[in-house]
Amino acid sequence: MSVLAIMTVSVRRVLRDRLSLFFIVILPIMVILIIGASVHGFSTFRVGVVERGSGASGKQVTAMLSSTPGIDVRYYPTASALEAAVRRSAVQAGLVLPAGMDQAIKGHRVVTAGLVAESANPTQQAAATAVRSVLARYAEQVQAARFATEQVGGKFGSAMIRAGHLAATVPAVTVVSRQAGTRLATLPEGFSYSAPTMLVLFVFLNSLAGSAVIIANRRLGMYERMLAGPVRSGAVIAGEALGFVAIALAQAMLIIAIGALVFGVSWGDPLAATALVGVWALVGAGAGMLAGTLFSTPEQATSIGPALGIAFAMLGGCMWPLSIVGPTMRLLGHFTPQAWAVDAWTRLLSQHGTVASIAPQLLILGGFAASSLALASWRLSRRLA
Amino acid sequence: MAHPALSIAEKDLRQRIRDRSAIILGVVAPLVIAALMSLAFRGTETIHLTLGVVDSDHGPAAAGLVEALRSPGLKDLVTVVPETSQSAAATAVRAGHTGAAMVIPAGFTASISEPRPLPLTTLTNVNNTLAAQITSSIAQSFVAQVNADRLSVATAVAGGQSPTSASAALVAAHLTLPVQAVEQAFGAKELKTIRYYGPAMAIFFLLFTISFTSRSFFVDRDQGMLERILAAPVRPISVILGKVLSAFVFGIVSLSVIVAVTTFAFGADWGNPLAAALLSVAMVLAITATTALVIGVAHTQRQAEGISSFVVFGLALLGGNFVFVSVTPPIMQRLALLTPNGWALRGYTDLATTGGGLAVVVMPIAAILVYTLVVGLVATVFAPRALEP
Repeated sequence: MSVLAIMTVSVRRVLRDRLSLFFIVILPIMVILIIGASVHGFSTFRVGVVERGSGASGKQVTAMLSSTPGIDVRYYPTASALEAAVRRSAVQAGLVLPAGMDQAIKGHRVVTAGLVAESANPTQQAAATAVRSVLARYAEQVQAARFATEQVGGKFGSAMIRAGHLAATVPAVTVVSRQAGTRLATLPEGFSYSAPTMLVLFVFLNSLAGSAVIIANRRLGMYERMLAGPVRSGAVIAGEALGFVAIALAQAMLIIAIGALVFGVSWGDPLAATALVGVWALVGAGAGMLAGTLFSTPEQATSIGPALGIAFAMLGGCMWPLSIVGPTMRLLGHFTPQAWAVDAWTRLLSQHGTVASIAPQLLILGGFAASSLALASWRLSRRLA
Repeated sequence: MAHPALSIAEKDLRQRIRDRSAIILGVVAPLVIAALMSLAFRGTETIHLTLGVVDSDHGPAAAGLVEALRSPGLKDLVTVVPETSQSAAATAVRAGHTGAAMVIPAGFTASISEPRPLPLTTLTNVNNTLAAQITSSIAQSFVAQVNADRLSVATAVAGGQSPTSASAALVAAHLTLPVQAVEQAFGAKELKTIRYYGPAMAIFFLLFTISFTSRSFFVDRDQGMLERILAAPVRPISVILGKVLSAFVFGIVSLSVIVAVTTFAFGADWGNPLAAALLSVAMVLAITATTALVIGVAHTQRQAEGISSFVVFGLALLGGNFVFVSVTPPIMQRLALLTPNGWALRGYTDLATTGGGLAVVVMPIAAILVYTLVVGLVATVFAPRALEP
């Protein structure tokens, strides 16, 4: 009974504090929203376009760019604004369509468009390659329309329309793409990326920051007072641990509910997701309890805790997928529980994983939880003895 | 005797240095996190594609394509790896040994001039969509001239010309694609991760000064420190000035240490030293003014903690300290310019990528100073309230 009572007190203390509700609820949701809206960058080129004065032909080129999968078009008013955007990496390449492009196209001259990309920057060159191929597709139609008007007369405009229609029907040398590897090794993009990773980050981080409560209890002599009553030290430790688990579970379930209802995240196999959330709450509880016995002031908990939580999240692949870092950093990352949790969420969200397929991750996370809880209990019970 | 505000600031700073958590937030945490980011992205910041090529054609068109792939223009972007068969190429792509592969089918060269040409096939991996995109772009650019010629004949024929004379005219015309992209280099330096996240993390942890300082003001007040200080011939505003001054000095020292360490240990380039220094001072001033405002608006220690948490994380999220602001949607990029830290990050980014001097940071510094002025004015209205018993 006393275990439950101690747990209830811990949970009630957190729920009454509006500030901790900010960190448990509002902050994670805000971060999920911002990161989810931003993370498309792993597979799309952002291309800037200046189309002022380029007329209908410019519109046609930008329409072709926009409809090309993997290209995200952003518009800029001037060439210098576009250059600043490329420099700041807001876009990876820029296309400046010349003013008077319509006349140049009709005038049978070679039309040159400016491609803003540094030759020493391979990322910008890759984006430039994508832009070139779209421009080449447009040029095919211009060449055809010019050739046709030279050969058979008539207006360039109508020949251009005819070429546009024919481009869709005349058999051309096509480029067929075939998937050789179909097993997605990262989380899907958007909110399905940000929600699970931020769940992992914030549940752990809040547990670390929550260790301030244990430190305050220790300093106020709260445990000694509890032990003066008919309460065993084991019950005190178990009660505190259960408090951490309850708060972590509540936070995780809230993120899952909001993720599913507001952001449309599909969390995968329910049983496996439940098991993963449960184990992760235990990992958080272990980390929080251990921090409570290691830090000496509440200030340390609220300053070192978040810094440590963010560092672990970075190492463990919550801030960027570990597939984009080198092998050493990936190995180092797997010394944190975060990496195993993100791996497990990836299997659930991207590979239709089940309890069986995330069993290795669950076991390792269980190991993290058991060892940290055991160590924390031992340290705390020594103090209580 | 020193001005009372100076003595109060000095005492506050001494107290904070004794409390190790201030050093951790101000120096250790931003350094560790910037180092992690720099290590994580070392060597992965640039795109390079290893492309498997299966040439089952052995004709001139295939040779032309392979030559184009090995051209000087693509040298830094693509490394070509010959593969013996489509299945071998697929295995390599699946295993991640090559980013993607291109298959030139047997009879490709001959099929180009026939009514139904054979397609080029790219083999891609769902985990490397950029490689897939680059491969298909290169292939499409290569076949563009062939397709343009085929389309030219078809369009002329549709206009009434006979197929044979259209084909003959095409051969005579030697057409080249009439719309060309010409690369415009503009001399920008590459924006390395450390150049963005170094300042971003330094400012993020610096923002916590707002929490620390405002909290310590109310702790002092609750312990009756204010009454005791005010019993001496000290003007009440000196107490707040002292607190705010300690925040300013702490901010300057913390940023300076971070700049020094990232420069010498990680080779981070903060750009023109004077411009970077002025930008940093402006940012610290903005933080100092915000601290004064939080002290003025809050009534209790708990409120100060709550308000400062909102302010710190609100500014950090909007300003781009967590997420690289350039990749966010345009609305977020505009919102970032409502925050002083968003302007500071833009200033550091421009310093790093243009190699420019003071002129580059004039706008960011002006914007930060406007924020500081507005917030500072509001703070002077509210601050005296905090001193009332």
